[in-house]
Amino acid sequence: MINPIYIVAIGLGTAFSLGLLRKLGKEFSFWVTIFALGAMAFISGHWLSAFLSHQITSTVITTAGGKAPFVIVFNMGMTEALFSFMVTMGAVFSGFYLHDRLIESGPSAMAVLLAGTMGLNGIILTGDIFNLFVFMEISAIATAGLVLLVSDFKALQAGFKFMLASGIISGLLLLGIIFLYNSTGTLNISELHSKAGVILKSGGVATYLITIALLLELKPFPANGWGVDLYEGAPSGVSAFIASSSATAAFFVFLKVLPLGGDISLRIAAAAGISTFVFSNLMALSYKNTSRLLGYSSIGQLGLLVGIAGLSKHLGDKTLMIILTLLGTHYLAKAGLFWLSGIVKNPNTDEWRSLRKSPVLFAFFGVFIFALLGFPPFPSFFGKWELIMGLVATKMYWWAGAILLGTMFEGIYLFRWFSRALKLQNNDTATPAVTIYSILPVVFFGFFLFYAGYYTSTFVPALRVMCLAPLLFILLLGLLDFLPAFLKNIISLAGVTAYIVYLWPHIQGNTFKIVFAGIFLGGAILALIAGFYRRGKHMGFYPMTMLMFLGLGILVDASNLLELFYGWELMTIGSYFLLIRGERSLPHGLSYLLFSLGGSLAMLFGFALAHASSGSVDLSALNHIRIMPALAYSLMLAGFMTKTASLGLHIWLPGAHGEAVADIHFMASAILLKAGVFGIILVLGGMGNTQPYAQKILFVLGWIGALTALIGNIGAAFQESAKYLLAWSSIGQLGYIVFGLASMTHLGWLAAYGYTITHFLYKGILFLLIGGVAFRVGTADMYKMGGLIKRMPFSFFAVLIAIITLAGIPPLVGFTGKWLVYNMILSKHLFYQGVVIIISGVIAFLYLFRLIHVIFLGQLKDRNRKVKEVYVWLLIPAYLMLTAIFALSMFPDMMLARLGRMLTPSFPEGALVWDGFTASSRYGTFNLQIIMAVIGATFAAVFLWLVFANRKAQKVKQFNIFYSGEAPSRPELTHYGYNFFAHYRKAVGFMATPLVTRFWDQLSQGLHGLSSYGRAIYTGNAQSYLYHIVAFVVVVYLLSAGGIS
Amino acid sequence: MIHIALAGGALLIFIGIWGMLTKKNIIRIIIGFSLFDTGLHVVLVGLGYLKNRTAPIVDADLPAKAASSQSVDPVPQAIVLTAIVIGLAVTSVLLVFALKLYQSKNTLDINKLRDNTND
Repeated sequence: MINPIYIVAIGLGTAFSLGLLRKLGKEFSFWVTIFALGAMAFISGHWLSAFLSHQITSTVITTAGGKAPFVIVFNMGMTEALFSFMVTMGAVFSGFYLHDRLIESGPSAMAVLLAGTMGLNGIILTGDIFNLFVFMEISAIATAGLVLLVSDFKALQAGFKFMLASGIISGLLLLGIIFLYNSTGTLNISELHSKAGVILKSGGVATYLITIALLLELKPFPANGWGVDLYEGAPSGVSAFIASSSATAAFFVFLKVLPLGGDISLRIAAAAGISTFVFSNLMALSYKNTSRLLGYSSIGQLGLLVGIAGLSKHLGDKTLMIILTLLGTHYLAKAGLFWLSGIVKNPNTDEWRSLRKSPVLFAFFGVFIFALLGFPPFPSFFGKWELIMGLVATKMYWWAGAILLGTMFEGIYLFRWFSRALKLQNNDTATPAVTIYSILPVVFFGFFLFYAGYYTSTFVPALRVMCLAPLLFILLLGLLDFLPAFLKNIISLAGVTAYIVYLWPHIQGNTFKIVFAGIFLGGAILALIAGFYRRGKHMGFYPMTMLMFLGLGILVDASNLLELFYGWELMTIGSYFLLIRGERSLPHGLSYLLFSLGGSLAMLFGFALAHASSGSVDLSALNHIRIMPALAYSLMLAGFMTKTASLGLHIWLPGAHGEAVADIHFMASAILLKAGVFGIILVLGGMGNTQPYAQKILFVLGWIGALTALIGNIGAAFQESAKYLLAWSSIGQLGYIVFGLASMTHLGWLAAYGYTITHFLYKGILFLLIGGVAFRVGTADMYKMGGLIKRMPFSFFAVLIAIITLAGIPPLVGFTGKWLVYNMILSKHLFYQGVVIIISGVIAFLYLFRLIHVIFLGQLKDRNRKVKEVYVWLLIPAYLMLTAIFALSMFPDMMLARLGRMLTPSFPEGALVWDGFTASSRYGTFNLQIIMAVIGATFAAVFLWLVFANRKAQKVKQFNIFYSGEAPSRPELTHYGYNFFAHYRKAVGFMATPLVTRFWDQLSQGLHGLSSYGRAIYTGNAQSYLYHIVAFVVVVYLLSAGGIS
Repeated sequence: MIHIALAGGALLIFIGIWGMLTKKNIIRIIIGFSLFDTGLHVVLVGLGYLKNRTAPIVDADLPAKAASSQSVDPVPQAIVLTAIVIGLAVTSVLLVFALKLYQSKNTLDINKLRDNTND
């Protein structure tokens, strides 16, 4: 093995010799620097690979053949090798990225980079606590030197603050070191560890000073103003270096020295770290400067890591895994983001829209953001999971809650930034100038994040579902994005089919899974068939669609909570990118993502409680949770209800769905919402209805379902846009499903399953065709349509059948659901809820009538005289679903009897009794075929009578009408389809007041207000920052002396 | 003697911190830092002192065998040399920043040397 002292030797040697090499040119010096950094990285990488293959064990290396403390002592173990490798690789790539600036500033700047990297390596490797001080000062001075690569005022004042702060901090460290030496007689860190008992007795102040100094290096809230300014002021390549390399080294040494201080230090670390995480992210909410945001986020992430180190006793042997995954993700993603910020140049978050002109870089921007927030398949996902599981299992509920809250804050500003960059129009921006030097580090770190995620997942035994092959398929699809849409469509269809072939043996015989797999993956096939209507390339659509369907597939395939959560998060990412594609989708896509994030964090806490009470992560852990069951089930339900858009959590849906185009609208509404239903079924199945808490939850849930149905339908009735109407209608329909499930009866669940399947079918038809009509006509506003029956007869027929089914009018299968729900209402005596449900059913008639009437009947508009029928590729899947509706209407037992058999073991009472095609409940019998025959005969009779009675009627031309000779001021006012239900609005319009939207708006404003209030701390004055540091030291000491717990 | 050194060192440290926290001129702030640093060094040497012992220089008067029992602890003395050098480096970097800040804003007042464009 190569002696690690060469890391220092190469660093220093090259730094000094650069002065001699001046004559050979700056470019030469640059490559010498990169080569030297590479050689340093090679040494630690070499050690690391030897450790990983278990060839060697930790070693102590001394220089000059002497003994400590007279010589330099280096410890080299697995973690040292890893951290040193990370730090040096960060330097290699940051150095490479800084090419232009380094060339501009000359060899002295390169020497500073080398010396800084050497110093950071020394911090990690040193076995001697005084040398720690020396190496820290070397890297601090080098950092200040790197900040001077630019000489604008911002950088200067930031560097000055940093130097002052680090001067005080290292002074404290030195003081602690000498006190420690005084009480133990040694400076060797390993010896200090063995003398921990002595230290605790006589070296309290010493360890306090050392711990607090190392903690201050990591910029704890609120003594971190200098740190944020440093991130903001430094050139982006240097900030990347500070956020990845320096922070990694500083954290490592904190980790190493922390145990010296005993429990009290752990408590300080936990409290300071987690509060830093929460408050840094809260502070960041009110900023728009990207460097500053990234600075807060970096400080927050490091705070989280410090907190985890402080909580290590509770996390046990998982601590290292959690730390490495979170630190690794932060290291890669933050460096990448800082590098990108140097490419974008403009520090305003909104200006990142220009990055879209380099799609590859923009894709990595997304990768970094989602990785930071702990989404799969990145390493942090597993770290976040284990962290919350571990904390909740040891009853550290408040800590876990605070971490989830901090993550939510972080999500708000990172996702806002990303969404705006993704959607704001960017015609007026220049394409960001990139060179190989700026692009290569980003691409490398981005790809490495994927690899790190894969590598982490091999250590997670619970993740057994197939995800690698599909993820590679999706990656391939992303690389093939230059192909025309129809080719990608064919490839995607092949992919989905292959996945279905894989999945089938796993779900065979399990009706529950077959139903949902049918909706998710059968829906995928239908959606992709519809996708053939697209022309052009449709960039980015297919990878994200496939990601969503993979997530949905994993949900069905999942055998434990981790897999379930994995699938859920993948689906969230994919669906976000679909929903935000609409032209005006920016706010809606963002709010969808934020609700999803909040929901999944709530769910995670619920899962953790389930895991804590059963000791396993199997799906059976959901059964009869013992620890805080009411909270656990409520959180999980709330999490899943963000996707079903139940009342209170529904405000993202109308916009997100209403702005989506036809096939995306189909996927989002007919398919995606069912994922929430899937989750609710799992949770309710586990909770049961016997416990008192369960009955309370079910009572509330039932009311939420009923009121969601009402509000959704009222909302639908007042829309002008057909798409928004359908979106609101989905909210209402999902309300029925939730209501049915909350009853916890055989009939209720049967109805819910029935609605789940039929809603998929009829809403599928409606979304595809209404979307198709809107595409042809060029607007979704219904009053701008009319008379389209003549131009689009096939669409008209399919839509007519779909709304008859939706409205629950006999004889089609929709009536079945209604009949079941009314039976259930009677049997459970849910009369108040029943009234609400019945009223919402009536309102559904209103808006559905309007939908078909205003679009297809009435007068054809002039500009629509030549519109064509909806694309045949949209009609094909619609008619396939239409066939299914007819089949289910003719033979309802096909679906209901089978579902009934599945439900009977869980709900033996109140099952339907089947006799041929006749089903009987306590309240009556039901035979859809007889009903169909009766209605068919009645319809035929009335129709014949009308034909007969109108035989003398005279056909008039379309314009055989007049406006009393006056031109109407606003043409839409004269259209009967405009403000169709004005009279109802007078009566019940108040129920459509967006109270819930107002609630969330005010919550958001409150948070931002709190955040701006916190800005008062960060005055930008170096002296106030020094006050903060001194006050932090004193206050934490007083608190810990008082015994914080 | 040792108490005087320690008390003197502590006093210097506090004077230094007081200077850094209250003075508005950044040159004075840097002087405060220097005082703080010097105080640290005095404390460092003071803690290494052992009563009735000689300097840790091994020669005819102090054979190597007796060094550990008759001389003061050499480690803090070695450390303080390094610390002084580092303190010098930090002070000079601070002074470079002071110079550059003055060049860019023509003032040494810390209240005027802040960035107000954060948002």
